[in-house]
Amino acid sequence: MSPAPPDQDDGHGELSSQDREAFRKRAEDLGRRLESAKGHGGADAGRRSADAEANGAAMGRALRTSTELIGGIVVGSVIGWVIDTKWLNTWPLFFILFFLLGSAAGILNVYRSAMQVKTGPNNPKAGPSVPDDADDA
Amino acid sequence: MAAGNGGHSPIHQFEIKKLLPLELFGLDASFTNSSLYMIIALALITGFLIYAMGAKSLVPTRLQSVAELIYEFVANTVRESVGEHGMKFFPLVFSLFVFVLVVNVLGMIPIPGVTFTVTSHIIVTAALAVLVIGVVILYGIYKHGLHFFSLFVPKGVPAPMLLILVPIEIISFISRPISLSVRLFANMLAGHIALKIFAGFVGLLLAGGVWGLLSPLPLALTVALTALEMLVAVLQAYVFAVLTCIYLSDAVHGGH
Repeated sequence: MSPAPPDQDDGHGELSSQDREAFRKRAEDLGRRLESAKGHGGADAGRRSADAEANGAAMGRALRTSTELIGGIVVGSVIGWVIDTKWLNTWPLFFILFFLLGSAAGILNVYRSAMQVKTGPNNPKAGPSVPDDADDA
Repeated sequence: MAAGNGGHSPIHQFEIKKLLPLELFGLDASFTNSSLYMIIALALITGFLIYAMGAKSLVPTRLQSVAELIYEFVANTVRESVGEHGMKFFPLVFSLFVFVLVVNVLGMIPIPGVTFTVTSHIIVTAALAVLVIGVVILYGIYKHGLHFFSLFVPKGVPAPMLLILVPIEIISFISRPISLSVRLFANMLAGHIALKIFAGFVGLLLAGGVWGLLSPLPLALTVALTALEMLVAVLQAYVFAVLTCIYLSDAVHGGH
């Protein structure tokens, strides 16, 4: 092997300069093809999966909200009904009272899940922000 | 009319059948088709995870990357809603998510006379919800003591308002396990009934002579509904896991 000048680094390995040139071309070509593939499918697929994720999360929340409201109302009404008919015989006093409280609780549930949409679930303060609520009242 | 007999009733699919009658301490503890489906689900999950993770290779095989995807997905959900502290609940959330998911999807595989959706019975979903809320309450009390109950007392509110707000907060808390269980149960029940009804229309129209020309319509709808039900099956498992995380975050972070 002829000793190569140290400042030009074409002397290492057993590759002739033509071989190295061809290799460099192939690598460049591969790089270009990778780039273009990323530009086409890659970004598209990424966007699509992000969209699908957002859609799924949004649908999950929509399905949640509907039952949140009903849950509060049902629980309130049942508590009121039990107090009235099983304990105190005051029908329909507590039923009406707890129906109203339950409706408020249902709306509170919906408000909270909506706030979680706004601020993201990772904010622990997002949910129980009743103080703001009370200020409005 | 072919609609009358029991086999084609839309709610026939939810019938509990005793496979091995068994009585323990005066309670009916029979092995039913519901138990069978749960055991199949557990066997599938355990078998899949053990098999997929068996190689533990750095470059994952296809199955291993599926298992890792599920792990990452649930881990991210937990980290996002509970924070890093919440990872001690990861096994619970992961088990709940995968169990509900597999049981829901198994219920979508049609095997005549056998197919059963475990989560279409409210007792199952209620038991899962009670487990979640029980963990929330017990861990909350263990971590914060009686201070945990300050969850029900919103801060910065004048005392007279508390008289109204505390009951509202308590009702809101009680409604959580109920909406958690009713949501999953109702979605599965309603979806499967709708599927069965529209599928039943196909047979009824075909039996009705010239009306048979219309039978592709409910058939197409059944196909579309099946896709929708697959979505609901996966989505409900996800919603269940997310809500579990949100409730757990109350237990971890305590009252505000």
